[in-house]
Amino acid sequence: MEYVNPLTGFRIDGRRPNEMRQIKGELGVVANADGSALFEMGNTRVIVAVYGPREVQNKSQQSNNQALVRCEYSMANFSTGDRTRRQKGDRRSTEISLVIRQTMEASILTHLMPRSEIDIFVQVLQADGGTRSACINAATLALADAGIPMRDIVTSCSAGYLCSTPLLDLNYVEDSAGGPDVTVGILSKMDKVTLLQMDAKLPMDIFENVMQLAIEGCKAIANYIREVLLENTKQLESRRGG
Amino acid sequence: MATTARGGGEREPAAGSGGGGGAAAEMEVEAYRRLFPVAYFERHLRESVRLDARPLASPRDTSVALGLVGSADGSALVKFGDTTMVAAIKLEVMTPPAESSDEGSVAVDFYMPPICSPTVRPGRSAEVAPVISKQLSDVIMSSGMINLKDLCLINGKASWIAYLDIYCLNADGSLFDAALVSAVAAFTHCIDDGRVVTVPGELEGKTKLPLVNKDKRKLMLNNVPFSLTCGLHKEHILVDPTAEEESIIETFVTVVLDTLGRVVSVYKPGGSVLAYTSILKECITLAKRRAQQLRNILNESVSAMEVDKSS
Repeated sequence: MEYVNPLTGFRIDGRRPNEMRQIKGELGVVANADGSALFEMGNTRVIVAVYGPREVQNKSQQSNNQALVRCEYSMANFSTGDRTRRQKGDRRSTEISLVIRQTMEASILTHLMPRSEIDIFVQVLQADGGTRSACINAATLALADAGIPMRDIVTSCSAGYLCSTPLLDLNYVEDSAGGPDVTVGILSKMDKVTLLQMDAKLPMDIFENVMQLAIEGCKAIANYIREVLLENTKQLESRRGG
Repeated sequence: MATTARGGGEREPAAGSGGGGGAAAEMEVEAYRRLFPVAYFERHLRESVRLDARPLASPRDTSVALGLVGSADGSALVKFGDTTMVAAIKLEVMTPPAESSDEGSVAVDFYMPPICSPTVRPGRSAEVAPVISKQLSDVIMSSGMINLKDLCLINGKASWIAYLDIYCLNADGSLFDAALVSAVAAFTHCIDDGRVVTVPGELEGKTKLPLVNKDKRKLMLNNVPFSLTCGLHKEHILVDPTAEEESIIETFVTVVLDTLGRVVSVYKPGGSVLAYTSILKECITLAKRRAQQLRNILNESVSAMEVDKSS
């Protein structure tokens, strides 16, 4: 199948190889939560709610010098093309929960909140490729909304390699094509990579190109997230009458 | 988005000291609210007002938005104040069982994921979720909103099964009411998109098969049910309780009415306040008013969607 048109260079959804899908982030969508955010990357739509810092549920896991970070990832039954009755603890969900937790833990200043717990709950409403990245971006926004101190903004983006072209931000069809899928998560200002996952085979030099492309995508998302947060702070300020 | 200590932004100087005192008075109010919730609540009831300044018989602002989930055949997002529900329907083809060979089927599931409330912990689902799930299933079936025979494709061989999944994204009281409205709205939006389905065993010897559902068609809904939950506290009836009110009030009555004003279901699961006939009659009257309101809101959102589609 022609993932990149040889004549025009367009992908199947009309994007160019280094073009990301339309992103949109919104804060404060779940009123009950301490912090929440909705993040959309094209047709992938994800809601993250953050509860915390709060009392540790399982006292045996409580740590005296830092906060415990927990994450649960779940997909709605209607989120993918066919309706699948998803079990809570299935392997993919557990793996992604672990990935998101460890990625966010790298940035949260856990030593400032000992003996407490921060819960990050992720709910995928629509899945069209890049769910992992959308979840991490939404989690960053939600943690900021909850006022949890972080070292830096964590953003994530995926990239692949099909028809001899590095492609940024794969959608579901491109992802299922069987080519390599590189997901990168970075701490934007500090320019450090906190998450890197890849499957399938790639020669080393091409891998570097694809990873670089994903990192550019992450930086673009970081700029957008910074704008959203700034706008939100301005609104809070004006509401407070300051 | 603010932490719970801020109480959602309401400042109620009526409960304690007046304007003077500023920040100190506000802290007193918040502490009073947490330490003596019942007294705080009753102080409001004496003025015939509720904690969010609503009159006793007034429901919260309701909004319905259709078609938000692109991958589903029908979907709706409903908000009752802060309570948020997302409902989505996926249609699939199944072989009907022998005893109901000309009927389709509807499967209703209600979920409360941990994002909806600080009290729902991962690993242990909320207690009320399966209760509401069953209530919804019963009401949708018994109201006759969907004629199951409409869902039949080929008698005995193929029929639709509509999987209705409702997710609570924020739990702030009146969960059953909001879930029912979202289910009804999703069915209103649900379109059978005329996809081609082959039935095993029919292909041999036939070159041309007639398409069973050629045009896109919407599900015909009759007797749409709408519900209203009232909380009973001493002699007051409170319409559409929030989560804070639900933690103080112990007795609830849920009345479900259909389009003809007939009572589909009454549900009063115990509680310390005994409901005399007069109270039940009043709940039914309030439910009638609410049903009319909800019907108008739903019709508005349907016509808004048709305008979007045609433009």
